[in-house]
Amino acid sequence: MMNEFSIMNISATGMSAQRLRLDIISTNIANAETTRTSRGEPYRRKVPIFAEYLKRSANGIMECVGVKVVRIWEDPSPFKLVYDPSHPDADENGYVRMPNVNIVREMVDLISAQRAYEANVSAFNVTKSMINSALQIGRG
Amino acid sequence: MVDRIEGIGPVFPEKLSKSKGKGNFADILKQAIDRVNELQKKAEKLTDDFAEGRISNIHEVIIEAEKASLALRLTVEVRNRIVEAYRDIMRMQI
Repeated sequence: MMNEFSIMNISATGMSAQRLRLDIISTNIANAETTRTSRGEPYRRKVPIFAEYLKRSANGIMECVGVKVVRIWEDPSPFKLVYDPSHPDADENGYVRMPNVNIVREMVDLISAQRAYEANVSAFNVTKSMINSALQIGRG
Repeated sequence: MVDRIEGIGPVFPEKLSKSKGKGNFADILKQAIDRVNELQKKAEKLTDDFAEGRISNIHEVIIEAEKASLALRLTVEVRNRIVEAYRDIMRMQI
């Protein structure tokens, strides 16, 4: 019984991971025009790094029990330069450094996160229907 | 939002309290029912936590509720089989 439920927990970690990814993509979109951060530079695009979630099972073998977010990586690609001399953050040549967030790419990532979440929900539903059919054994 | 499932406390309690032996069928059944009960309580607690804003991941609540519901269905199924077996024996011609 606990084994089936551990499959459900695997799907749950996948959903949590995609949920966090959605949070980060939303942050990227919200900060697509942010020129000031605590580090004195424009906002850098953030990307979650996923890793397999290993756990030692009862008989001592390491087994994968889902996915976890190990860290949030900051994209080191260069900032966009926009010519806008009236901007308060413009340099002496009139250029403003804008975040390295590409809004189109973020939208694509958003859809990808949504689909990945749905895939985890499907895996969960399949597990549930398998358990339900196991309960039907011997009834027919 | 999540259908709350009633606790299963009163499922044959008098049968369980009678036997004290170790590893017998009634004890195993009691352990299993306790586990189901724990799952129900956990699901209920998560629902409360979500209502009070302590959990932001709604899927955790739904998954716990699903686990509790499946465990309860398994319990009901086992109970039905036991009752069926008992009836089979009672119907036996001597």
